[in-house]
Amino acid sequence: MSRTATILGLVAIIVASISNVSAESPPDFESFAEPFLEQYCLDCHDSETKEGGLSLEDLGSVDSRNAGLWKNIWEQVALQEMPPRENENQPEGIDRVKLSNWITGELEQAMKDQGGFDSHHHPTKANHLAHDVLFGEIPAGLEPPSTPARIWRVNPQEHLVRLNELINTEPAYNPSKPGLRTRGDHIPWNIQGEIKVYYALDRITGQVGGSAAYAAAITGFPPILSAIRDPGFKNYPMLYSVNGAEATQIARQAEEIIRFMAYGPLGESFQFVDKDKKIKRPAKYDGLDIRGTTESLVYKKETLRPITPVYDLMKEEGVSIEKLKAAVDYLFEALTLRQPTVKESETYLSLAQGAIADLGKEDGVMLGLVPIFLNRDALFRPELAAYGVPDKYGRVMLQDQELALAINAAFSYIVPDKNLKEAVGQGRMKTREDVKREVKRILADESIRKPRVLQFFREYFDYDTAGPVCKDTKALKRAGGGDEKGYYRNMYSMTASTDRLIELILQEDKNVLRELLTTDRVVVSTPKNPRDSPARFYGNFDKLVKNPPRPKKKEKLTAAQLGIVELPKGEAIHVRVTQVKFLGGNPNRTLTTLPADQRLGILTHPSWLVSHSDAMDNHAILRGRWVLERLLGGGIPDIPITVDAMLPDEPEETLRHRMRVTREDECWRCHQKMDPLGLPFEMYNHVGMYRTTELGEPVDTSGEIINSGDSTLDGPVTNALDLINKLANSERVTQVFVRHAFRFWMGRNETINDAPVLQNAYHAYDESGGSMKALLTSLVTSDAFLYRKVSRHGRNDNGVPVKTH
Amino acid sequence: MLNRRNMLHGMAAGVGAAFGSTLSPLNVRAAAVKTAQPRRVIFFLQNQGFDPLTAIPKGLQESVPLSGMELAEPIRALEPYKDKMHIINGLHGLHTSPSHSAFFGALGGYRGGIGVPPAGETIDHKISGLLPQTILPHLCIGMDSLPNMRSRPTLATLSATGPGQALFMHSNPNSLYEMLFGGISTGDVKRKYEAKSKVFNQVERLARLNGKTLPAGERKRYETYVNGFRDINGLRERLVDVSDHLKQFAPEYDDGYTNPEFETDWHDRLLDIGIASLKSGIANTLTIGSGRGEIFGAWQGLGVEQQGHNLGHINQPDNEIWIKIRQYNCRMLVKLMQQLESMPEDGGTMMDNTLIVYGSNNADKQHTNGANWPFILLGNCGGNIKTGEFTQMTEKRPINALYTTLLHAIGSPVDRFNMDNTTAATYDEKVGPIEELLA
Repeated sequence: MSRTATILGLVAIIVASISNVSAESPPDFESFAEPFLEQYCLDCHDSETKEGGLSLEDLGSVDSRNAGLWKNIWEQVALQEMPPRENENQPEGIDRVKLSNWITGELEQAMKDQGGFDSHHHPTKANHLAHDVLFGEIPAGLEPPSTPARIWRVNPQEHLVRLNELINTEPAYNPSKPGLRTRGDHIPWNIQGEIKVYYALDRITGQVGGSAAYAAAITGFPPILSAIRDPGFKNYPMLYSVNGAEATQIARQAEEIIRFMAYGPLGESFQFVDKDKKIKRPAKYDGLDIRGTTESLVYKKETLRPITPVYDLMKEEGVSIEKLKAAVDYLFEALTLRQPTVKESETYLSLAQGAIADLGKEDGVMLGLVPIFLNRDALFRPELAAYGVPDKYGRVMLQDQELALAINAAFSYIVPDKNLKEAVGQGRMKTREDVKREVKRILADESIRKPRVLQFFREYFDYDTAGPVCKDTKALKRAGGGDEKGYYRNMYSMTASTDRLIELILQEDKNVLRELLTTDRVVVSTPKNPRDSPARFYGNFDKLVKNPPRPKKKEKLTAAQLGIVELPKGEAIHVRVTQVKFLGGNPNRTLTTLPADQRLGILTHPSWLVSHSDAMDNHAILRGRWVLERLLGGGIPDIPITVDAMLPDEPEETLRHRMRVTREDECWRCHQKMDPLGLPFEMYNHVGMYRTTELGEPVDTSGEIINSGDSTLDGPVTNALDLINKLANSERVTQVFVRHAFRFWMGRNETINDAPVLQNAYHAYDESGGSMKALLTSLVTSDAFLYRKVSRHGRNDNGVPVKTH
Repeated sequence: MLNRRNMLHGMAAGVGAAFGSTLSPLNVRAAAVKTAQPRRVIFFLQNQGFDPLTAIPKGLQESVPLSGMELAEPIRALEPYKDKMHIINGLHGLHTSPSHSAFFGALGGYRGGIGVPPAGETIDHKISGLLPQTILPHLCIGMDSLPNMRSRPTLATLSATGPGQALFMHSNPNSLYEMLFGGISTGDVKRKYEAKSKVFNQVERLARLNGKTLPAGERKRYETYVNGFRDINGLRERLVDVSDHLKQFAPEYDDGYTNPEFETDWHDRLLDIGIASLKSGIANTLTIGSGRGEIFGAWQGLGVEQQGHNLGHINQPDNEIWIKIRQYNCRMLVKLMQQLESMPEDGGTMMDNTLIVYGSNNADKQHTNGANWPFILLGNCGGNIKTGEFTQMTEKRPINALYTTLLHAIGSPVDRFNMDNTTAATYDEKVGPIEELLA
């Protein structure tokens, strides 16, 4: 039979076999993949045509040897790179989905014993599912959405916040200064980029020595659990477990925490006074340099840490079983966010009693309570839906405690509030309506801190990595970034400012995405010396005075003398800063506006621009990729291993010129999707300053939107402002934003089965005038959030019949 | 019955007996015949690349003996060890994506990258499983800036036990010291140590129990958590069993551990613990990641004020900063060799049965495609590696070929390491070890 005849026959097979995407009749190579290749690929990639040296004619089904090639086929087909766009013979979107699902399913099997294959579950590959399929007509016969039963390791911040709750009394919510650090907030980093929880910092009233000595004397600990550092979403359950080294560190820190809960800060009695000036150090300290030691610290007499059952247990002599049990139960709930079962309580009580029997009360309690910190549910949040009868699709809705914790975790890092606990206790945590009630209540209550929501925006925009971007010293100076110390402080400090701007826009809750993309507002710190002001980075590089006059002693140069922009006075606003004052900067900031002809929204703020730059220059490819993925819903396949992805080292040439190498044939196919979206941001230099010239010539800020998937968006743009204006009003961009919100809150990539959830969420957002609260309510009450797919059918994994409630 | 406890006791007894005799002067004198055999391998990877102009004596372009050649200034401290040295130039890692770092790909010989999980077992761990068994047996230490080592005291970027199974390196010497030498104690301290062991065995039991109700798809991920306790507890049991022996090798626990002035104070102590683990026989493989496989790192203790990514932008040859870092590496290498030479073993010294592999996780420089990946081998690995030589590769051979050679040298020959024939058709012109390296 000729190939033409074969193709004609195979078209019928494909049409017949891709009528819907359901669990029924799973496709195989012969009935589905081979006909697909025949119809859409072999014209250019058979043994005769062999375009690009690639023949797929004898490929065969997926196995470990051809896995790399099949992975490429998956990416090319899923991202609509192949067949080439100019070909008329194109598969339907749903056919692409079906082939993608088949390939990735086969790759999982083929690579099972060789490291596995899970790329398609990784957040970076989420856009491999075509946007139009998700937001077009929903295919008939789809199984209703659900998420696999799973355990979700708590994220490093969440873990740190829980540990912090045990040792520090964080300030209550202050409605007049809502931006200030409040109980339940994430732990902010300091101006050097360090994140730490400190012991007894709120009690320190004085110390010996300068800031360096203070830093050496105080005690704290950083996040213990690890997280990937790549841009984008970091907290999918599939990405993490807890390794032995982390468990060891948790155990070590747990002992310190328990000791502090019991006794407070370690110190000599002379260190505890009401007033710093009243301190009388014993004679043995005369003439002794105690800077940087714990003895150099002076504490208030008043106890400020949380007084817990651990304190009650240790303050009296002997071991009371009731008090030991209270300590066990308290720690269990504080760490797992739920009360222990009777059996769990007994188990951990028995462990503590054993340790006390071996070591005596003092050491025994310190050791014996550690296992609670290592309980599974202190480190993983289970979403197992362990009881309840699965529906015909194998789905069970989360209920009661598990449901309450899932809702709580969607917003908060700390223990559920009283109302949510009561709802569980009163059996009002079972239905979608129950969920809706609680979600709306939580969203409406500003005093319930929602660090998870802010974290979504951090991971979606990736504006929080400006500080860690290491700048070349000379390149920094050339770009007007000033001295390194001040530069990095400003960059770390800007994250808190952008956090606050986002919170402000969330509070308004109107057209949230559009506002974030187009606002003229900015939150900035206003140090006394204009030289240290972050306003420098919001200014115009062309106007920066390159060689300002040398100031006389104690004289400060004015902003005008330095060529630094003077922003409108604005209004007072507050941000979260670290506990360590000299390392935290000032929580007082100004809410002001930026010049409309130079800046437009978060993408034009230095925090975002520098986060998407490198040591020497702007990173137009990274910026373009961000726009492509986060706004347009496009994707880029993995770089072939033969590609040397380097721009020429030509410091006297513009980045645009150096990027000419990406226009070579093998590169441009992908780079055309990124570079023209990133180059409009050349209107800023690599420290985020606006500029009209580059290397003495007018800067070229032109770009283009190419093959975005929405033809009304495609076409040239003059600069970043033009680009952003176009995108901010796009329906597609809003839908892509909704897709990202889905991923963050579900902890997984969307599938075709999630199309109804996504469409509903988009409509909820759109019809509410761009309300994030409406979007979140829709997502958190969706089947994808509430239902877990379980393997049992009336039985658990061990074959035991499940109980129903 | 061969259960874990019995096996551990057996292993511990073996180690104790072996070292009891090795350390006895009487037995050293009685050993009439040298019976050198490969017993340990050390991998030392400096980040940001190893420039060939530093690795190779000036002007060399062809394979020649090293005698009479002068080593480049940054590695001149190794001059007295030229007869124990083999410099290899011209291997490639084009398939490992080494720009910035190949991460696991550097020791795995496969594609690596930030966030890319290991595609297979790395050579260091492979070797640790093939060498005569020891308690750990594979220790990884990583050196970085103080803040990084404090905030991320463990990190997995270089070594792996298998596909998707990263092996963590230790960067806080305090934790590592406690882990390895905490059992060397008496009286009250011993009692606490034992109570801790009891508690942690219970924690492991509970963790295992809590995994039973998990869906099948989640069990593998959860296993990492349970196995972490298994490893912690297993190691503690084994170390306790040889505590008398360990006492002779534990480094002094000094201020450098608790109050480091510079990161190099911790680097030095990590090395001391690494050396002690080799000398005491609890480890047969040591992996040292200077810069921890990433593109950061700091050496302020050497007077290098700059740190982090920028160091990789500097052209290494003749650069003062890189001379300092490389000289520091060499001081560490010399210390390793001197310490191992001081230990009698099999009628010779430990160094006779050792191989040190020095190179980079970044090929020749930070921004590289991996076309050239220089290495220095130190030691002859029980007489199996040719020394005193410079080898310039004339055929296209990947770093996998070096790792294949190492497996030959330790007596476990294979045709290829982590490279199938399809990939080899593009990247490797030959099959088997690099003959020029084998004695």
